[in-house]
Amino acid sequence: MGVIVGPRVIDAGASLFSVLISPVPVAAGFPSPAQDYFDGRIDLNAHLIKDITSTFVVRVTGDSMERAGISDGDELIVNRALEPRDGSVVIAVLDGELTVKRLRLTPTGVVLQAENPKYPDIKVPALSELTIWGVATRCLHHV
Amino acid sequence: MSKPALMRQMPQIAHVDVNCFYASAERAFDPSLEGRPLVVLSNNDGCAVTRSPEAKALGIATGEPWFKLAPRAKEWGLVAKSSNYELYGDISARVMELLGRYSAWLEVYSIDEAFLGVKGEPEQLLALGRTMKNAVRRNVGVPVCVGIAPTKTLAKLCNKWAKNNPAFGGVCHWDSVPGAVREQLLGRLSVEEIWGIAGRLTKRLNAIGIHTILDLTRTDPVAIRDKFSVVMMRTVLELNGTPCIPMEEERLGRDQLIFSRSFSTPVTTVAGLRQVLSVYGQNASARLAKHGLQAKVLTAFAGTSPFSGQEQAYPSVCVPLPMPTADPLLLTRAAHALLPNIREGLKYVKVGLMLTDLRPTGNQSPLELFENRHEEHRIGTLLEDVGSRFGRGSIGLGHAGIKSGLDWTMKRNMRSPRYTTHWDELPLVKAA
Repeated sequence: MGVIVGPRVIDAGASLFSVLISPVPVAAGFPSPAQDYFDGRIDLNAHLIKDITSTFVVRVTGDSMERAGISDGDELIVNRALEPRDGSVVIAVLDGELTVKRLRLTPTGVVLQAENPKYPDIKVPALSELTIWGVATRCLHHV
Repeated sequence: MSKPALMRQMPQIAHVDVNCFYASAERAFDPSLEGRPLVVLSNNDGCAVTRSPEAKALGIATGEPWFKLAPRAKEWGLVAKSSNYELYGDISARVMELLGRYSAWLEVYSIDEAFLGVKGEPEQLLALGRTMKNAVRRNVGVPVCVGIAPTKTLAKLCNKWAKNNPAFGGVCHWDSVPGAVREQLLGRLSVEEIWGIAGRLTKRLNAIGIHTILDLTRTDPVAIRDKFSVVMMRTVLELNGTPCIPMEEERLGRDQLIFSRSFSTPVTTVAGLRQVLSVYGQNASARLAKHGLQAKVLTAFAGTSPFSGQEQAYPSVCVPLPMPTADPLLLTRAAHALLPNIREGLKYVKVGLMLTDLRPTGNQSPLELFENRHEEHRIGTLLEDVGSRFGRGSIGLGHAGIKSGLDWTMKRNMRSPRYTTHWDELPLVKAA
């Protein structure tokens, strides 16, 4: 049961993630006590942000994640509280820089993969020797 | 000396405090600062207000002027950052929101510290302390220490021990420290290390033979009241485990003003909270005016009762104000930014406002008056609309409209990006 919270930072008086939609008829179901206050907007915060305290938005520079659909200039939604797993797109600290990679946890070791053949894999002896800053949950790709 | 089980079940107080807050907030987004000496400078890039442990090790004192440090910065590898109040305000709001999940009773004491009411066996309290410490580190990315004790004064003291003594692992619980060890530690600390005892009082205490915290702990509280004040008596009682310092409602700190209050009757409607926030906004304005101050960042927060059996929520927002202000309308409007996060029907039992990035009223720009006069003609709304569509700074009055021009009275040449509050200043991650 998640706590739904709206935009945490208000800038220019507008929500970053408010999208207007046209009213859509919904089949009658369990009546919600919040119905009277439903104002017809999808709140992207509610859908894209699981935990407001641990979620950050970062911007990608470079093309090493192209094959994963992450392009130069795209924004990523990153949850710092998530446990990184095999296959997670992670923000790792490499040489003091925040770097986005695909994490591979294999029997032979930990690999940080690029999603672009131009860039080599980076092998790490153990996960404990790696600082994972956060796990990307969504890409806001510019189409 | 072991205490009866009943005593352990008495409510205790946890004091949670972010280590070197401003420096830690900078490091959370710039890992290259890890392990390097780092200072954060006061307004106008004047003095070092926060020092990383590495900067402390170099012998840099709090308040040391930057012009004295700058010539040696390169040799030391010292990095300086201008105060980034928008970043610190948001990180603070995240920490407080997270801590609110662990206790019914949260008092935001300053931008980087809070008191929480906690209950349980010593092992449970230690475990809770570690859980909170790990959660803040993992979720928000800043390190905290936790002190847990029967009183606020002792909780602050325990936190200090946790910070200074690695053996505690960042969490110190008063009742779990053996009595002999406590006495040894108290006997080593000067009275000025106690919360609320400043230099002048230290001298007077020394004059009557009270040098260490242990000395003060063993003083007769009534006698000390006659010699000093009821405040000193409270401190002695608190040191002996009797809670005397209640939840505070308003406080003007070094660089922040906080209003927070718990209600006996929960507020359950957005309209009700709008009223509370309006009253706080006006009170805050009056208080700022009284001290001749203006604020640049406002944080509003609320919390539900954990005893209602309902879903809990601890919403908070950090609102960068368009200009330094003490204007009740502006502050109230900013406080209302919390309202979209309020859910009708939940039982809110606490609400608070925190104002940071305070500066003297004298620094205000004449453009502010200009802008306010036009406010009557709804130009403010128009500017806001244009700004929200095309980005803040795309339009404005005179110089106020130029990007980053709003801070023109304030020198902040070394400010890091406002990573979490400005879309065009997001942290960059390398895909290479």
